[in-house]
Amino acid sequence: MTWFGFERHALSLVWSTIFPSGTEAGIELGAADVGLDAFLDELLAHAPARVSFGLRVSLWLVAFLCPLFVLGRFATFSGLSGEERLELLERLQRSDVYLLRELPTFFKMLGALGYGGLPVVHAALGIRVRDDEPPPWATKGAR
Amino acid sequence: MTGSILQYADVSRRVSDAADYVIIGSGAAGATAARVLSEGGADVVVIEEGPHVPDRELRSDMWSSFRRVWRDQGFQVANGRAFTPILQGRCVGGTTTINGAIIHRMPEKIWARWRDDFGLGAALPYVELDRIWDTLDDELAVGPAPEATLGKNNTLFRLASQRLGIGSNPIRRNVRDCQASAHCNQGCPTGRRQSMNVSYVPRAVAHGARVYATASAERLERSRGRASGVRACFVDPETGTRGPELVVHARRAVLLAASAIQSPLFLAANSIGRASGVLGRRLQAHPGTAVVGVFRDPVKMFEGATQGFESVHYWDERMKFETVSMPPELALARLPGVGPELMRELGSYAHLAVWGVQVRAEAQGRVQRGAFGGTAIEYDMTDADIRVLKLGVRRLTELLFAAGAERVLPGVHGLPPSITHVDELEPMFRAPDDPRLFHTIAAHLFGTALMGGSAFHAVVRPNFETYDLAGLHVIDSSVFPTNLGVNPQHTISALAWLAAERLLDA
Repeated sequence: MTWFGFERHALSLVWSTIFPSGTEAGIELGAADVGLDAFLDELLAHAPARVSFGLRVSLWLVAFLCPLFVLGRFATFSGLSGEERLELLERLQRSDVYLLRELPTFFKMLGALGYGGLPVVHAALGIRVRDDEPPPWATKGAR
Repeated sequence: MTGSILQYADVSRRVSDAADYVIIGSGAAGATAARVLSEGGADVVVIEEGPHVPDRELRSDMWSSFRRVWRDQGFQVANGRAFTPILQGRCVGGTTTINGAIIHRMPEKIWARWRDDFGLGAALPYVELDRIWDTLDDELAVGPAPEATLGKNNTLFRLASQRLGIGSNPIRRNVRDCQASAHCNQGCPTGRRQSMNVSYVPRAVAHGARVYATASAERLERSRGRASGVRACFVDPETGTRGPELVVHARRAVLLAASAIQSPLFLAANSIGRASGVLGRRLQAHPGTAVVGVFRDPVKMFEGATQGFESVHYWDERMKFETVSMPPELALARLPGVGPELMRELGSYAHLAVWGVQVRAEAQGRVQRGAFGGTAIEYDMTDADIRVLKLGVRRLTELLFAAGAERVLPGVHGLPPSITHVDELEPMFRAPDDPRLFHTIAAHLFGTALMGGSAFHAVVRPNFETYDLAGLHVIDSSVFPTNLGVNPQHTISALAWLAAERLLDA
């Protein structure tokens, strides 16, 4: 399965909204700092096909339908401001509709597998880094 | 004669072999049977769907582990009202390579139920199981987690249970000289946990067993009304590309030990057990959820045994508590919020304690072949199970506050993401008993190829042989009539040991 450029862009915005950079009193290192685009390739290459399919369906819902139906904005996720993107994901997460609130959780879970496994993130959290090298996918996508 | 471990990368053409016993699966059941049979003088072949991954190739990040040694790369899910991740290993050693190393014997109350309700008392004498557990304890270095390995996530649990007067204990684990790296779920990086890939599989190989890894068992061969072998196919673990065929002739019997998910699928694909009406049904599990406490002082759950302390104080109420060290990848998915809220919580990662409740659920699900050749698992906790889960979350919250947590992150929909008093959980009890309130996972799977006294409602005879085909024995937790309420590895191994001994004696 290949991904269109606008899908990659939208997903990188979703992940950098969920894991933003520069949070005070928290972890400053965000998704945008570590290059999760390469992790998307890793997922597409190795995750079960239904996961990749589910990720694409979820992304289209969030990127194209949710701005209108959740925020009342005629825009794509990419066309929203940073504050609006965050508000959109927060509203979804608070939804009483199970499948809607699972959308940001699904993105968070997948992104966390990449972001949260990086030695640089472990080091920022005070965890002794055991591996000599970052995961292979991160080496390919290092910035 | 020493055996071997071969996998996809090692073979370029069709492989034929023959053995007294062909075992499908190398987890707690398959590896234990291989150890008993091979050391009893029998010739053994083990067919394992997953790869053989040496310790030195394991990494500390969760995705690398998911990708290589977890079934469905960690994405196996049961469908019900909520999605429930189903945790299983898929590698040489099976789930024993990624579990928390928690060892329990089958509770006698459960055994009594098997005896009274399912007529299995004579087939599975407790005294025999006790004898086997003693041997397993000795060979797998089972003992209470030493004080030096506990770490604060575990000692806080002890403190809390003491303050509330709740019984608790260091977990009995199958680890030899634990290095307290909190990496059990990624695969023990130091090879200290005595999972099957470092214990019984090597022992069986040392006694001549041949292990064919990355080989997917597909078809059962029959001859004169008996199981006579297995056809499998080597599969590239990286790409899924099918490789050479593997054909193994079984001179005496085929032993199916592929788990409560895979075994019924293999039986169904080979038209065995269908007439019973229970094949693939009655799937039972121990679903559970985790509650997070935030402490003023560092907890550093990444230092210490992954799961070092537990409480079975409320076992009769169908719940068991355990400590769980979560790596950041999994903690992130469990922490509340997105954006700055999430990153602030992540910033307190070193101050988090995570404890879980597992429910001896009454729910029964189903396993069947899904669309496009996948696996379809249906599982839905009952309303009564949800009430147990709610009570478990409340008790864990009380424990966390008793240990000194400043805040608790209950992880329940409809509640504040962070609470400072247990009374803030009250809305949870007024909410419907719905699994969608929680993020649950399910481990410990049972019951999909039931053992029983009649072919009309069981797949497997009390001697582990299938009713439909002589020479085919199912020896994993598929045959369990109920769940256990405790971690099942030791019971699975004991029953497989018993089955193997009887085959040697026959």
